[in-house]
Amino acid sequence: MVDLTKLREMAREVISREDVREFIGYRPGTYGFRARPAFVMGPDDADELIFTPACVNNLASYIVLEEKLPVKRGEEPDLRKVAVMVKGCDSRALVQQMEEKAYDRERILVLGIPCRGVVDMAKVQAKFPDVLEVGDIALEGDKFVLSFNGSKEEVAKEELLADKCARCRYPTPLVYDELLDAEVERFADDDYADVEELGKRSAEEKWAYWEEKFSRCIRCYSCRNVCPMCYCEDCVLDRLQPQWMRRSVDISENAAYHISRAYHLAGRCIQCGECQRVCPVDIPLMELNRKFYHDVEELYDYEPGTNVENPPLLSTFKVEDREDFIM
Amino acid sequence: MAENNDFEPNIVAFLCNWCSYAGADLAGTSRITYPSNVRVIRVMCSGRVNPLFVMNALQQGADGVLISGCHPGDCHYMHGNYYARRRFNLMRNFLEYLGVEPQRVRMSWVSASEGAKWKEVIEEVREGIKEVGPMDQFKRRQLNW
Repeated sequence: MVDLTKLREMAREVISREDVREFIGYRPGTYGFRARPAFVMGPDDADELIFTPACVNNLASYIVLEEKLPVKRGEEPDLRKVAVMVKGCDSRALVQQMEEKAYDRERILVLGIPCRGVVDMAKVQAKFPDVLEVGDIALEGDKFVLSFNGSKEEVAKEELLADKCARCRYPTPLVYDELLDAEVERFADDDYADVEELGKRSAEEKWAYWEEKFSRCIRCYSCRNVCPMCYCEDCVLDRLQPQWMRRSVDISENAAYHISRAYHLAGRCIQCGECQRVCPVDIPLMELNRKFYHDVEELYDYEPGTNVENPPLLSTFKVEDREDFIM
Repeated sequence: MAENNDFEPNIVAFLCNWCSYAGADLAGTSRITYPSNVRVIRVMCSGRVNPLFVMNALQQGADGVLISGCHPGDCHYMHGNYYARRRFNLMRNFLEYLGVEPQRVRMSWVSASEGAKWKEVIEEVREGIKEVGPMDQFKRRQLNW
C-alpha cells in the first residue's frame, strides 16, 4: 500500500522545486471507482493525489504527447523537469522512450510505485454496474476491497485483476529517482498461451478471427493516441503523400491500419495494455502486440523497455540471425 | 484450391539493384525461361524495402510478394540485407499470425551470377501461391477509384 500522506508530501516537495515544471499523477475520478490523471502545477494541487488499484492509466504517454511549440525570439526554452508517477509497467515505457532517445534522463523525475496489480475497469463495471458516486478500491492481500455507498465488498484478486497484471514481469519500476514503497517481488510470468493457441489454428480460421475483429474498428485512433510508444510527430497514418492507407473504414484499410500500427510497435511495445483498454469496440490489440513481443523474445532474445543501454531492435542486426525462412 | 490450375498469380518482386536485379537480368540474357507472373520493382537495396510495401502490395492486388537481395556479407551497402532480414522475418510471422499464408510472402538471396537460381525461386514462389489460391484476405475491393 502506498502511503498517501507520504506521496502528497513528496509531490509537494517536488513541485516546489525550481527545476520542476509539472507533476503528473493520479486523482479520483468524478464517478464510480475511476481515477484520472492529475497535472499538478503548484504545491496546493498536490493534496488530491492518490494511488489505488484504480490508477490504470499509463502516465508515460503524457511526457511525449506534449506538443513542443516553437520558442519565441528572445525567449529561452522551458527545460524544467517533468515529474511523473509510474508503476512497473509504465516505467518500462520510460526506459523504451529513453532507449530511443526521445528525451534525456535529466528531463524527467520519476516517482516509482511498486505495484501489486491494478483492476480492469471493464470487469469492475460489469460486477458493480450502478455505482455512480465516487467509490474506492484497495488491494488487501489477495482481495480487492471496494467501498461505496457506505458499504464494503471484498472480491478475489483474480476476478478483477487486469490481464496484463496476471502476467506482469516487472512489478517494481525499472527506473526511478524515488521509490514510494518497498520493492515487490515478481509474482507472475508470461507463457504466451493465448498467442500460441491462436498461432496453431489454420490460416482460414485465423483470418476469420481477425476479419471479425478488424471489421469492428471505427478508426478512432485511440489506440495510437494513448500509446506511450506512438509519439512520432509525423505519423504514417496521417500522411497523405504517400498515403499508406486510405481513411475509408472497410476491411482492407482496417487491416492495413492494424498491421501498420502493430508493426510499428515491433520490438518496442512494453505490454502496458493501454491500447486494448481504451478500445471502444474491444478489439484484442494486445494479441497483435504480444505476437511481436513473443517473436522478438524468441528470435532475437530481446525484451523492449528493460535496459536503456540496449540499442533499438530493428536498428541493429546480428550476422547469425535466423534465416531458415529465406529461399 | 489445388485443383484450380488455371489461376495465375500476380507476384510483386522487390529486387535489389546490385545482386537480384542483375541476377534476373542474367536469367534474361542467358535466355532462361521463367514464369511471367512476376512484376519486378527495382530498389537500391533490400534494406530499402519497408515492410509496409508488402502489406500495400497485397492490398493492391498482388497474390504474393517476393523480396530478394544479396547474400549475407555481399551487400553493396555493407549490411542493408541484414536489416531487411530482421524486419522481414517479423513481418512474415505476423502476417502468418493474421491468416495470410506464408507462401505469399517470401524472401530470397539471389546474387548477380545466379540466373538459374532466379528461375528456381520464381517457379517455387509461383507454385506456392498457386497452392493457396488468390489473395482475398485484405485486398482492396474497389481497386480503381
